[in-house]
Amino acid sequence: MRRDAIESAILKIFAEKFEIEAPGVDDDLRDGYEFDSIDAIELLHEIEIMLDTQLTRAEKKNAMEIRTINQIVDYTVALAAARCQTDSAGPECLSTTGQ
Amino acid sequence: MARRVVITACSAITPIGRTRAEIIRHLVEGISGVKPLRNDDLLTEHIHSGVYGTVDYPIDYDFKRSHSKTMGPVSFYACQVAKETLAASGLDPAFITSGRLGVAFGSTHGSPSVQRNIYKTFFSESKQQFASIGAVDYLKSMVHTTAVNITKMFGITGRVISSSTACTTSSQSIGFGYESVKYGMQDAMLCGGADEYDTTTVAVFDNLLACSSEFNATPHLTPRPFDVRRDGLVVGEGAGALLLEEYEHAKNRGAGILGEIIGFSCNNNGGDLILPNTRGITATIALALKDADIGPEAVDFISAHATGTKMGDVIEAQATGSIYGKGPLVTGLKSYMGHTMGSCGAIEGIITLYMMAEGFVPPTLNLVEVDGRCAMIRHVQGLEKEPIRIGAVQNFAFGGVNTCFILKNISGR
Repeated sequence: MRRDAIESAILKIFAEKFEIEAPGVDDDLRDGYEFDSIDAIELLHEIEIMLDTQLTRAEKKNAMEIRTINQIVDYTVALAAARCQTDSAGPECLSTTGQ
Repeated sequence: MARRVVITACSAITPIGRTRAEIIRHLVEGISGVKPLRNDDLLTEHIHSGVYGTVDYPIDYDFKRSHSKTMGPVSFYACQVAKETLAASGLDPAFITSGRLGVAFGSTHGSPSVQRNIYKTFFSESKQQFASIGAVDYLKSMVHTTAVNITKMFGITGRVISSSTACTTSSQSIGFGYESVKYGMQDAMLCGGADEYDTTTVAVFDNLLACSSEFNATPHLTPRPFDVRRDGLVVGEGAGALLLEEYEHAKNRGAGILGEIIGFSCNNNGGDLILPNTRGITATIALALKDADIGPEAVDFISAHATGTKMGDVIEAQATGSIYGKGPLVTGLKSYMGHTMGSCGAIEGIITLYMMAEGFVPPTLNLVEVDGRCAMIRHVQGLEKEPIRIGAVQNFAFGGVNTCFILKNISGR
């Protein structure tokens, strides 16, 4: 998945799962949309489904300071890239890293 | 320090309606809220009982996502009646968050429908098997989910009591809330209970042969408390909330007073977890009268627990008769709506307040021929236009838990 595809998938999750429509990509989600730690855990589960993978405990903990859509997208792109490095790299991985 | 405790607002979701007018109309016209059991494509076809006390009307919830995200169906019910009760009370928002208002609210077992979704993950072949337990599933399904969703929604910072004693859940909420105010621990308590539709609850009672199954084609003819043709209880759903307030506090702010709680008792049979117990129930009634400092002759009306089971009704009638004889009028309100489980005490208390205000006592629905073993009390078999000065609400639960709270009409004083 390319970065823009990940961003639109994340925004779709926010609209459908969290009833947060089109937030600004740099808006503070906690201050602006009452997006709290419970929502963050729910979001991580959605990302697991999106990437068809299971996140490690360390990866989940790293997500707890994330505040904006841009940061979520960066985090997700990094997750996808990390999995491409450990798995055999296919065409999907190439597009994930933007190559 | 013992202070007077009054009820200044209430709200209910019941199988016989939402508003006071709707509920009274069902009672006066003898309209049942028992309907065919909804099909859940899971247990329904395995259950012998095909009837249910059903909330079949839409409810316009208007909750923010930040509130609703931790609610299962049971908490939607609970928060809705809590919201309406607080709105009707006219309490100052500053008081609500002051720590002087607490919550006593419960349900039979959290949210069974959410719990079922959690269990599904154990049988999932998904890669995310255990991660698929939602972050909020526990918050939606835990036993105290109703109480804390209420505190969150309104910013309530006082004490939290969350009883979960099956059929005495909300009567304990009312009783423990009453004691919290009476003895000065809080100035007001938002009390009640809720339970949602779920067939697992029906299956539990069905397996114990306690559910009605002979009237599946004519749901409105069951349950039949105290009647010779009764064949068991009918499970139902609903919610009820009451605002209990210290009398002087209510009076000083000019609040309308619906009634006073003058006594409460709770005890245990000290033995079998299922079988009703004459000695235990008799003791409960006597303790409540003692707490109210009144004799049995002062009571005009009894809301009997009266589930419509073969032995439960007999034991309750014998225990009640041994103290009251044929003095007070006795009605089994579950005959109209089935057994709303954790909410029954609150709903029956609210209906008793409505009856006090309106000056009538409805009959026990479907009570056509009184079982001779239940004949020692004064059954209501037709609409009575009698004022109620003092009414007692009796509830008994699996586990041998018994409760009784006593309401007094103080209007015009």
